[in-house]
Amino acid sequence: MAAADILELYLTDLSRLIAARELSSSEATRAALTRLELLENKLNAFITVLSEQALADAKKADEEIARGNYRGPLHGVPVTIKDMFEMAGVLTTGGSKILAEWVPETDSALVERLRAAGAVILGKTNLDEFGHGGTSTLSHFGPVHNPWDIERIAGGSSGGSAAAVAAGIGPLSYGTETGSSVRRPASYCGIVGFKPTFGIISRYGSFRGAWSQDHVGLFARSVKDIALGLDPVTGYDARDPASVRQDHSAYTSRLDTNVKGLRVGVLRRFLEGVNPAVRQAFDAALKVLASAGCEILDLDIPDIRYAAMTSMITSSAESAGNNRRWFREHYQDFVPHVSRGLAVGMTITASEYLTVQRARHRIREALRATYEKVDIIASPTTSRVAPLLSEGLKGNGDDTRHASYNQSNLLRFPSMLGLPACSLPCGMNPEGLPIGLQLVGGWFADQTVLNTALAYQSATEWHTRRPAIASV
Amino acid sequence: MASKENGMKDTNNVARRLALLEGVNLSTADLESIVTEIKDLERVMAELEEFGQDTPWISLQVQPAGKKA
Repeated sequence: MAAADILELYLTDLSRLIAARELSSSEATRAALTRLELLENKLNAFITVLSEQALADAKKADEEIARGNYRGPLHGVPVTIKDMFEMAGVLTTGGSKILAEWVPETDSALVERLRAAGAVILGKTNLDEFGHGGTSTLSHFGPVHNPWDIERIAGGSSGGSAAAVAAGIGPLSYGTETGSSVRRPASYCGIVGFKPTFGIISRYGSFRGAWSQDHVGLFARSVKDIALGLDPVTGYDARDPASVRQDHSAYTSRLDTNVKGLRVGVLRRFLEGVNPAVRQAFDAALKVLASAGCEILDLDIPDIRYAAMTSMITSSAESAGNNRRWFREHYQDFVPHVSRGLAVGMTITASEYLTVQRARHRIREALRATYEKVDIIASPTTSRVAPLLSEGLKGNGDDTRHASYNQSNLLRFPSMLGLPACSLPCGMNPEGLPIGLQLVGGWFADQTVLNTALAYQSATEWHTRRPAIASV
Repeated sequence: MASKENGMKDTNNVARRLALLEGVNLSTADLESIVTEIKDLERVMAELEEFGQDTPWISLQVQPAGKKA
């Protein structure tokens, strides 16, 4: 099979071919590494590339599979991980100068589980420093570029992961999200991004941002691929105090496109200021969901207008607490925007933090009541397509400083409350840039979110679009 | 007069917060940016305090109606 054809394969198909020994892990890994080398000077999606190690792991996977020791759907599959996860013997920087030469001795829980599943880790992806940002321009290693237009941002903070998957450099990547760091880059890069319910994937061995909002999430080009990548990395881990025990963790086997009667709520009041092309794509997506049998309901949750502010201050205070020592000892080594944000977080008092948690609880209770009435809340993921790099940080248009009925509140509330949320492609603007649809479920309704997303993808073809750069 | 008092209060609040950063080598650009952000934080905190007031949460046990604080 030609390298370009291998890179076009969804994870689901690639995995099946490797299992059947119709394609080797070595071929798939080599194809992904070749594309990575070709595109990296344009995308800057990686901080560390593990060419030799990946090829050795792929060879090992091929030998194991040949001996009949097939470990499961990720065995021999080339994947990438955000440089937030510790990996024994491999540079782990968090996108920061402070750890520019740090090599940990142990694996994070994610890496442990990927290794156990036999996945081949191609490299560690670029990000906003320690996950502090929404653009992936705040990295000591330079900005990540969007594969659809390299003059644009990939979104952050997991921008390198999203850019890699969109460009066909591995069908699956793992990132983290504290505010919107999986869903935003997924939307900007035209792929699927999924963040499960808080506590479903262990965060052990990943850098701490804001402990009560940090999640591990995934990127892929289809919902089926997300489920396939999710199954091997979920499960209780006592080393993460937020980890939860689940009754069901086999998402792939429970995928179902039957969403008849599912109640999908829309917060129309929060769509003020959304770009017309994005709004049009969202309205069309609702029609698709309605055609699939979903009941579309108008909702009003005024309390969500405080979600972005509450999320930002919670994140700011917790991040400052986590970085207290480095803030004092390495202030000059942080990316300036990040160090200034930490400085403000350092000034938040304990009583102010508790005040904000009361606000957060009020929003949580409003959502708890809402999920008695609906199964899913749908919205555009972002209010506009990927901004130009030249627009700077303000290009994201993420208004987190004012209580308002704008869309940034819809982007922020899922991580703040630990709700499962997905972004998937639902259109293109007139310039050919991807638009994302966000689906948010109630606590532990991860399967419902995936099934709704799958029902949408089964009826549309937006997820099959690829950036021109992915054909080299 | 009222606005002058408010201005003084703002200045004191900013100074109180900046004191928590003592010992950190802040550049002029850093300081300007941080002061702007702190002023915004003060405003946001006031809004969130009002919004979250009386919300029963672990840090604010609900009390019987009419009970004196």
